[in-house]
Amino acid sequence: MSTPVLTVEHMTMRFGGLVAVDDLSFTAGRRQITSIIGPNGAGKTTVFNCITGFYKPTTGRLTLTHENGDAFLLERLDDFRINHLAKVARTFQNIRLFGGMTVLENLMVAQHNPLMLASGYSLAAVLWPASYRRKEKEAVELARYWLEKTGLIHRADEAAGSLPYGEQRRLEIARAMCTRPVLLCLDEPAAGLNPKESEELNELLVSIRDDEGISILLIEHDMGVVMKISDHIVVLDYGRKIAEGTPEEVRNDPAVIAAYLGVSDEDEVQEVIHEQH
Amino acid sequence: MSETTRAGAAAPSPVRNPVVEALKEALMAGLLAATLASFILGVKTVDAPGGLQLEYRWHWVLIAFGVVAVGRFLLRLLWWRRDAALPGAAAAIGRSAGQLAQPLGKFAGPALLAAAFLLPFMPFIGRYEMDIAILVLTYVLLGWGLNVVVGYAGLLDLGYVAFYAVGAYAYALLATHFGLGFWTVLPLAGILAAIWGMILGFPVLRLRGDYLAIVTLAFGEIIRVVLLNWQEVTGGPDGISGIPRPTFFGLEFKRFGENTFHQFFGIEFSPMHRLYFLYFIILVLALITYMVTNRLRRLPVGRAWEAMREDEIACRSLGINPTNTKLTAFAIGAFFGGLGGSFFATRQGFISPESFTFIESAIILAIVVLGGLGSQIGVAIAAIVMIGGFEVFRGLEEYRMLLFGLLMVVIMVWRPRGLVSHRMPTIFLGKERKAVSAEMVGEGSG
Repeated sequence: MSTPVLTVEHMTMRFGGLVAVDDLSFTAGRRQITSIIGPNGAGKTTVFNCITGFYKPTTGRLTLTHENGDAFLLERLDDFRINHLAKVARTFQNIRLFGGMTVLENLMVAQHNPLMLASGYSLAAVLWPASYRRKEKEAVELARYWLEKTGLIHRADEAAGSLPYGEQRRLEIARAMCTRPVLLCLDEPAAGLNPKESEELNELLVSIRDDEGISILLIEHDMGVVMKISDHIVVLDYGRKIAEGTPEEVRNDPAVIAAYLGVSDEDEVQEVIHEQH
Repeated sequence: MSETTRAGAAAPSPVRNPVVEALKEALMAGLLAATLASFILGVKTVDAPGGLQLEYRWHWVLIAFGVVAVGRFLLRLLWWRRDAALPGAAAAIGRSAGQLAQPLGKFAGPALLAAAFLLPFMPFIGRYEMDIAILVLTYVLLGWGLNVVVGYAGLLDLGYVAFYAVGAYAYALLATHFGLGFWTVLPLAGILAAIWGMILGFPVLRLRGDYLAIVTLAFGEIIRVVLLNWQEVTGGPDGISGIPRPTFFGLEFKRFGENTFHQFFGIEFSPMHRLYFLYFIILVLALITYMVTNRLRRLPVGRAWEAMREDEIACRSLGINPTNTKLTAFAIGAFFGGLGGSFFATRQGFISPESFTFIESAIILAIVVLGGLGSQIGVAIAAIVMIGGFEVFRGLEEYRMLLFGLLMVVIMVWRPRGLVSHRMPTIFLGKERKAVSAEMVGEGSG
């Protein structure tokens, strides 16, 4: 198997006295869908924020490796450089679109860095706009590709804020894909979707993995989505990894069942974990 | 007052006598007016032997009570038929007017442009009208410059006048000390102001909302205080006088001298020539500002500004460098402020720190906000209304301030997001060019 796209080693994140993530290590395979699951408050989004640079982990090392062998230490990069250089794109739990801009404009903003370069940092293009037109057309084509793929092409010229919820979720994924990422991090993409939309999301994610060859890191509560499409699952509880494996392994793991269903006695949980190892 | 009517409506009284209701309200309003009036109108200080004495004028209080109570009674009975809240109704009127204004907007731009070019050749234009037109265009330029920072990038800048001052003093000092001409200094002044824009930008990058506004306000004041106190360089409160006027390809606009405009063209000397010339300079400068900012908006940097206004965190997740993006907005805005300042210096021939007080920043900001954040045509119309209107009502003396305030309140009630509140997208996939309605567009929190 090729090298994993993301390796997280001994990552700890403290907020004052609160330990949100405690000595977490895992890897995300290339061209695989890796899911992070766990009860509310388990520290899943904190892990995401550390990977995408919105938080700096207290300790630990996060290595992102490109297919050509280039490696980036994510804990040392600014958030916007993680997207620009390391090619990690993300979506947000509470959707963050540019509501007053059209769907197409949202996807153009996502291609900011290559377009900046093409427009001579906007200086050349102010004086001579024709020089930049070809590159802009290419950017529109990429946007059109993702709009067709996410079924939003008929909405291209509408304000992003006026779209229904499910379409906003898809647009956020399309926008992240327009940055041409190596690793796509999705924070609860199925939240608030109806079963049909959920099914479409599954197809989209599988297509991103299989057709585009992009690795996906997924936080999700919807087990229908997680169990069906994940290649690898990491289970967190109270900031610690309590289990890891294929969907089948995780589904039958007593520690996971205990964490989700609740076990009255703390010792009992420890016992269950001991049995597992 | 509306609370009392609502409470009355909620009370279990199936039959409400409108006259009684109106009387109740009129009494309340009258009492409120009388309370306020007793302090303002009821007492007057008069000079008397042995110091100031109070003179009581209770009849004035009575008159205030009467006017307000009767007015309220009549309004309630005849005008306000239902309990509809006024702002809601006003907003509804605003919306319908907005729909009407949209097709109008298509012609407003070209019509204004044609009017601007033809204006000096109109028969009714004299020296005074020309002066006002130049002033209005200066504010149009400044409004378009500030629009980049406040309208596009959503960064509330209360110290814009600082860059105006930098541009003005840059030209004044370089011209009086080194003999550089207006056309040489113009770009230099812009660049200097842009550098100051970045110097201001750096410390305030992390600040948002009210905090950003306060720091930019302070920056504007710092520049003014430095100009006031750095006597050796800026002349302090005396200012700088004898600033050279711009030349037309080396030809001066003077009655006597070597290289004068009227001699070269063999025409009669007229002081109006220079005014025409200044008018066309500022018109061209304003149009350059318009074209550059309009073009920037359609380029990646402009989209990044607007995206930053909508959601900064999302921007960072897409690899947009927030520092660079904000600094370019500050620098571009300041650049045009500097151009405007240079023009101001050459037009006046004399500058002093008094011209660069906070009220200037406030007026420019008011133009941008009234025009509609981000809308260039709206800013132009707002500048004409604000500056031109202010001059038109000069005859009313101090009452014009009252009228001015009233006008601003009316505009903000009628169109809370400015005269032109919808946003035109920068790129379209389809053929139809549809605007984005104001409710969707963010105002920025910085």
